[in-house]
Amino acid sequence: MMLALEGVTKRFGGLTAVRRVTLEVPTGTLLGIIGPNGAGKTTLFNVVGGYYRPEEGRILFEGRDITGVPPHAVCRLGLTRTFQIVKPFGNLSVLDNVMIGSLTRLTRVRDARLDAERVIEMCGLAPYTAARAKALPIGLRKRLEVARALATRPRLLLLDEVMAGLNPAELGGIVELIRRIHAEGLTLMVIEHIMAAMMRLAQRIVVLHHGEKIAEGTPAQIASDRRVIDAYLGEEFVLAEA
Amino acid sequence: MRARLARHRGAVVFFGLAALAPLFVHDAFFLDSLILILLWGALSAAWNVASGYAGQVSLGHAAFFGIGAYSAALLSTRWQQSPWLGMLVGVIVSIAAGSVIGYLSNRLRGPYFALSTIAFSQVLLIVASRWRGFTAGSEGIPVPFRPGFSTLGLSHPAWVYLALSLALLYYLVQLYFERSRVGYQLAGVREDEDAAAALGIASRQLKVIAVMLSAALSSIGGTLWAQYVGFVDPFYVFSVDLSVRFALNTIIGGIGTAMGPYLGSIFITSLETYLRATFSGKTGYAGGYLVIYGCALILVVRFAPEGLTGIAARLRSRFMAIAR
Amino acid sequence: MDPARSLGPAQIEALAQLAVSTVLLGGIYALIAVGLTLIFGIMRVVNFAHGEFLMLGMYLAFWAFVLWSVDPYFMLVIAIPLFFLVGLLTYALVMRGVISASHNVQIFTTVGLSTALQNLALVLWTGDFRVVRPWHSTVVLRVAGTAFNLSQVVAFLIAVGLTLALFAFMKWTRTGRIMRATAQDREAATLMGIDTDRVYRFTWAIGIAVVGAAGALVAPLYAIYPTAGLQFVLLAYVVVVLGGLGDMVGAMLGSLIVATVEVVGSYFFGAAWKEVLYFLLFIAVLVFRPAGLFGQRGAETLGA
Repeated sequence: MMLALEGVTKRFGGLTAVRRVTLEVPTGTLLGIIGPNGAGKTTLFNVVGGYYRPEEGRILFEGRDITGVPPHAVCRLGLTRTFQIVKPFGNLSVLDNVMIGSLTRLTRVRDARLDAERVIEMCGLAPYTAARAKALPIGLRKRLEVARALATRPRLLLLDEVMAGLNPAELGGIVELIRRIHAEGLTLMVIEHIMAAMMRLAQRIVVLHHGEKIAEGTPAQIASDRRVIDAYLGEEFVLAEA
Repeated sequence: MRARLARHRGAVVFFGLAALAPLFVHDAFFLDSLILILLWGALSAAWNVASGYAGQVSLGHAAFFGIGAYSAALLSTRWQQSPWLGMLVGVIVSIAAGSVIGYLSNRLRGPYFALSTIAFSQVLLIVASRWRGFTAGSEGIPVPFRPGFSTLGLSHPAWVYLALSLALLYYLVQLYFERSRVGYQLAGVREDEDAAAALGIASRQLKVIAVMLSAALSSIGGTLWAQYVGFVDPFYVFSVDLSVRFALNTIIGGIGTAMGPYLGSIFITSLETYLRATFSGKTGYAGGYLVIYGCALILVVRFAPEGLTGIAARLRSRFMAIAR
Repeated sequence: MDPARSLGPAQIEALAQLAVSTVLLGGIYALIAVGLTLIFGIMRVVNFAHGEFLMLGMYLAFWAFVLWSVDPYFMLVIAIPLFFLVGLLTYALVMRGVISASHNVQIFTTVGLSTALQNLALVLWTGDFRVVRPWHSTVVLRVAGTAFNLSQVVAFLIAVGLTLALFAFMKWTRTGRIMRATAQDREAATLMGIDTDRVYRFTWAIGIAVVGAAGALVAPLYAIYPTAGLQFVLLAYVVVVLGGLGDMVGAMLGSLIVATVEVVGSYFFGAAWKEVLYFLLFIAVLVFRPAGLFGQRGAETLGA
């Protein structure tokens, strides 16, 4: 089991953002997390990633308790996350950005440069290698975010709405990229609103609503789950898929 | 190897010329200016480590400078110890002070942090200027000149080489922060701490270490400066003006670059020396050059944020384009 | 402790004196801080040059007194519009371009301004300490066993008047409301059709006008020299940070607290160490409650 959450609860003052969430991510799977805005999805990622300490519950990564472990240590253990609102190192080049990711595992700058170039190539960013990150349009910034995270050689990658704001062409590209890295053996946990993509990529889906897990299952099971349709998907989705 | 040196041509020229100067020029005034340029350059480089490379803009670095100056002065006048020992003591105290400032850098952002560094240096100023029993209060401490290396009583040429060694060392330290793994990680921290943490970088700890190192380097510079100039005045060594000066040199020269602090120092120290010499009779003009610097700071920060280094790079590429 | 000793007439008198001094001082500090908190709160700019405008106000009062025998308090009538214009000028020349720039650019722009102004004063008027001694600075009023200086009282009354006027302006006029809206959400304000550039220009000019006026007010009370602004600006920042940035009421309350620390600190430790006290207070507040005693949590991380 790559990742296991046991009864994780996160409160901010009077607001309970995540309520007793329990889920598992088997090694090699792609788990999708869906739910309406404010459901607690990003907060969940923040807890797993070490930004927040949960009030209750545990997080087990490869059997090891990482509850409350700070973000940089979590990454070094093999769990990397991306940010919903991308955070590129704006004044640095695309190459430098990805190199900083590579330097998590590699100690020599020379090796990191070669490694970064490889990752940039794989993510289709080669033409922009020397470009300043802040000069990139959003679609490429999202790619950079993924590339940088990949460079850290994670065993579990958390993607937070990497598809938001992309046009159809860009969307296709990133879905393909995610499919490829999953096929190469990476375990993934993906938050998304683009249901078509989610249905195609995910092997299992967890649905959050008001901080609670209200459903879990295969894409097909989720698409036909009454509670999920009421809370999030809507009738049109069911008709469209049919 | 030749390619490596070529990248650093500015530094090679500068340090090379500085090394050769005492062999050919014996004018005390010139050597004195050179020593000051090198010392101010090194001190600005120390500031650059915390504020340029680590991105923690401090306006209170005079605190560490003053600690270094006072440590050596006190140890040599009160306890007859070598200023080198004083330097060591200064470094230890500065590192401790640096850890406090480093802690503050993790709690406070931008301007708030800068304000807290000012407050910190002002506290030290007041303590130093009022604690008659320990620091001789507001009168300051004259540093006696005793010839010899262990007492840092040196001739002008010797001082040139000492200051040059310091400046060269600090240049190399900055290069380390530019080219090494730590340097890249620090660049990430500077750009976005949270993103850097998500990539496995211990952002908070790295910042504190950078500030502590910067403090130690400033302290060493402060010790040497005090020994060279021969007098430690609390109202000067802990002043905000001094802190601003380190920033000024670096920003005008090019913040976050290894050569920037030295370029800025050459430019500003020369201008200051020239103006001082020309208008030496009229005390009013003593502040004149600082008015210019104030304006220069405003202009550079807004219109030429990469400083002289950036301008030089742009001129060079334009020159190359024309030469083709 | 012997009850007969604890609150005898001497102690009450001492307490009363301390209290009066505190209030008088607090009123003046409030005026200095209020302009700063406005600039800070609405423009989100830390103005490192704020003390220099105070210093210029002091010099204005000095030269008017020495050259034309104008009392500093009458000089106020000139000082306020004059410094308002100075504010408009410095905004157009210096501040306008850096409103949306990074923190570092803003820091060094106002630091550069501070350096330039300080040394301009040095060049023009030398570093000699100047003193303004109008007739009322030597008149001592005695009320119920407490003694205070007429200058202090008048300064206090005018300061409080100006502060309240500014507060009323911010709270009840349309312009004031527009300014407060911009402080809360810059982008939303723009979307609502508010010309934020005009708001900033006005805010800055008011802030400078108020602190210049404060300079004229305190001229009879403190020595005047080019770096006089430094002690006041740091103090003003302690007040602003205590009260929460942008919070005028907070600034007024913060002034009282800082004045208390200063008066009580001077009484027990001597005037020399009072500055150490409020610097330590400053650092303590920044570390433990950076949003201020009355401000919102997390305000210190606001900068965008």
